[in-house]
Amino acid sequence: MIEFQNVVKRFPDGFTAVKGLNLTVHDGEITVFIGPSGCGKTTSMRMVNRLLSITEGKILVEGRDNRDFPAEELRRKIGYAIQQIGLFPHFTVLDNIAVVPRMLGWEESRIRKRVDELLDLVGLDPDINRDKYPRQLSGGQQQRVGVARALGADPPIMLMDEPFGAIDPITREVLQEEFLAIQQEIGKTIIFVTHDIDEAIKMGDRIAILRDGALEQYDTPDNILAHPKDRFVRDFVGSDRSLKRLGLVRVSELMDPESKPLVRMRDSTDKARQVIEEHKVRSAFVVDDEGVLKGWVDLDGIRHAPNSLIDAMMEADFHEIGVRKGNTAREALSAMVARGFRITPVVDKNGRLVGSITLKALQDLAEQEWSEEEATAS
Amino acid sequence: MNRIAMLGGLIAGLGFFFLPTLALKPNRLAPGTSFNLFEFQGDDRYLVLFVLALLPILLSFRHDVESRGWLLVGTGSLLFVLTLVLPAGAGRLLLETPEAFLDGGAFIRNPRILPAGAIATGLLGAYVTLFAGVRDLAKVEVQTWLQALATWLAPIVTLLLLLNGTFDVYSIMVEFYANGAALEQKFVEHLMFVFISLGVGFVVGVGLGLWASRDERLAPIILYAVGIIQTIPSLALFGVLLVPLARLGDQSFLATAGFFGIALVVAVALAGSYALLADREPGRVRIVHLIATAIGAAVPLALFVGVLVSFVFRLANVGFTSGAYGDTTGTILVLLLAALATWGVGRWFVPDESRWRRGLKVANWSLSAATAVAVVVLFVQASGSNRVLGGVESLSALTIRDLGVSGIGVAPALIALTLYSLLPLVRNTYAGLNNVDLAIIDSGRGMGMTPSQRFFQIELPLAFPVIMAGVRNAGVALVGIGTVATVIGAGGLGDFVIQGIVNTSIDQILLGAIPAIALALVLDAVLRGVEGLLTSPGIRQVQQ
Repeated sequence: MIEFQNVVKRFPDGFTAVKGLNLTVHDGEITVFIGPSGCGKTTSMRMVNRLLSITEGKILVEGRDNRDFPAEELRRKIGYAIQQIGLFPHFTVLDNIAVVPRMLGWEESRIRKRVDELLDLVGLDPDINRDKYPRQLSGGQQQRVGVARALGADPPIMLMDEPFGAIDPITREVLQEEFLAIQQEIGKTIIFVTHDIDEAIKMGDRIAILRDGALEQYDTPDNILAHPKDRFVRDFVGSDRSLKRLGLVRVSELMDPESKPLVRMRDSTDKARQVIEEHKVRSAFVVDDEGVLKGWVDLDGIRHAPNSLIDAMMEADFHEIGVRKGNTAREALSAMVARGFRITPVVDKNGRLVGSITLKALQDLAEQEWSEEEATAS
Repeated sequence: MNRIAMLGGLIAGLGFFFLPTLALKPNRLAPGTSFNLFEFQGDDRYLVLFVLALLPILLSFRHDVESRGWLLVGTGSLLFVLTLVLPAGAGRLLLETPEAFLDGGAFIRNPRILPAGAIATGLLGAYVTLFAGVRDLAKVEVQTWLQALATWLAPIVTLLLLLNGTFDVYSIMVEFYANGAALEQKFVEHLMFVFISLGVGFVVGVGLGLWASRDERLAPIILYAVGIIQTIPSLALFGVLLVPLARLGDQSFLATAGFFGIALVVAVALAGSYALLADREPGRVRIVHLIATAIGAAVPLALFVGVLVSFVFRLANVGFTSGAYGDTTGTILVLLLAALATWGVGRWFVPDESRWRRGLKVANWSLSAATAVAVVVLFVQASGSNRVLGGVESLSALTIRDLGVSGIGVAPALIALTLYSLLPLVRNTYAGLNNVDLAIIDSGRGMGMTPSQRFFQIELPLAFPVIMAGVRNAGVALVGIGTVATVIGAGGLGDFVIQGIVNTSIDQILLGAIPAIALALVLDAVLRGVEGLLTSPGIRQVQQ
């Protein structure tokens, strides 16, 4: 746990970067510091491992004032990863990752084992990469090594300053996903600085929005999107926050497991028409005997081939038209927009239909948010 | 097509066609008669050279790169060796009956054979051809050791022939045999000029560069000051040093030692007060305090180092060149080589985790320590020689001059050379340290490295290639400037050059110049090698 208590940072030129910050970073969570440039997010982070001195107030790291430790000792217990990566170009990958363990006086054999373990964790083959130099790696690989190095001595706490900021968007997405998976495994207490709200929503268990050196709002991503505290936060998270919020809600929360306008492949077209009318939908899903989604059928199709459902249906792979329970509501919306459906089938991993999600359910989610806001505004 | 090979053939071929190959001089000083390759006694075998010289032009049109490379290497190497060997044979014939080839009125006494222009162009053309061939071989990725062999075969054969006496007919060799002992002495002196001033310059220069890189406000002042030094002509600098050093030389040793004692106390007091107070002082006071500290500490320190270095130089000169301590000198050499060998083996041939590593380290440390002890032994032995202290009776009669400091001689030469070495050293150290990526330093800090760990593990290794470039630069320059030291009676290879100028004897000038050039080239190559070995492969390419 990291606790900021009335932390103030004033620079020698008189500029006050952080004005009385109070905030608790919870164990095993990723806490994102975000805000416009100059808001004090990096300054606040750098005071935790005392790369910057604290002017007033104090920061408790695992219950103790961080000024109780010698600065170097403190820093060796806190992983540190930065945007520019800062790998030592004259060190091999192994030597880079081994920096902190060596300073802590680990046995060489233990270090080697740990390095291989970390390289595996970040998805680099140890045998291929251990003895390479940073310049022989791509940007994404370098950042993976950067993360491995920050994890070198298995510190309970990590500070990450825009660690994926300098990487191309596609690789960045991959690294974000990978890092979330790693965090599932290692459960570190992480302060993650970024200026990218999408990254904050994706990575953060909690988001601290800072403005002019003060905390504006500190909450979970969902709450911040659903209930932005004021206009600044609302503007900061963006006018598409409803859409962003859909990215946080899972299909499983909005789907209707009962609503299944479906027909079997060997049913008649009349049965299909009946199902469509009954459910008041435009099309019905077609499944085989095992209940696996095989396509859909609509009234147009039935009109062209009134005698055979198999001829009338549009065949499609369930991967393409269906969404899974674990997908986000945003992905479900995307599928609807792409195919012009008002309803999208929800399937399990074998393609069996388990329910459906409707455009209306998504709209209701947004509406509920607006009405809550009006209620608080009045 | 290989254009470089064609160029090599043209240089050599045109040289042999138009320029004289040899000159026959009736005596050491008189001008001689020149001979073209085609004028040698009508002996056709010398024309082989001409044919060989033109061969690269034909070979350059070959298409198959690998065979072309080998043929060019062969031709170039053969041309290189024969350009020196064949004219030597012709020269011997000329010397048998010099009267037949000289004007009737010439005063013939110890006639000499001078290699002339065509030999220079022949060697150059041969080298260019060789280079073109090796490049071809590199293109088709012939193994590295074969490339190295191809490059070095001709020079090695030439060296062996030189040792064998094949080239003794040339006048420069005659001059060498006449001055052999003196040459060795002057060469060692020159070597010591370079090494001692480079060593002191390294410590001072890297120190100043480091200081400049740590203090933004001071950096321009330091860089400007060492830049100014570089603009002073070396002769003028010797002149400027003459009077104060002569004065210093007159001082008694005991009085000077007392002065240094007091100066040391003052320097420590000034430096200490600066370290403690500077941050709290207003800007102007701080600058005055800084200047006082710099002068109060630097001037006595410089004097002390100057005296010490001059004395060490005298000891080393006596120790290494008098020949009286051959056993000790030999021991030092053996120990040094053994220390280097254990270090090299430990570093490149024994893996980190091997248990031999530790043993080799201990061996290396002991051998290094033994080398240092042997050097001290040599110095102690040499200090007994009356060439060192000149038979001074008592300590109270000892003057600074007896230690080797005087207005002319070695002391001003060493001081001037040290000052000249500063600019490249300071500038490169400063640039090297300043160019280390701040993000790299920040991540080192963030991981909990102490300032000294950051300096020795990050900044220094990353700046190392740039600093070494400065050392090379300074070293090569010092070899050249060192020849000027002869005018203040400091010795060195410049002695031959200046005598040669006085006597208008090209052979003597060359006798000083060729070893100086060779020394500069070897020094550069050795330092390059050291730099390559000590630079991490992770940054080696980037620095090229």
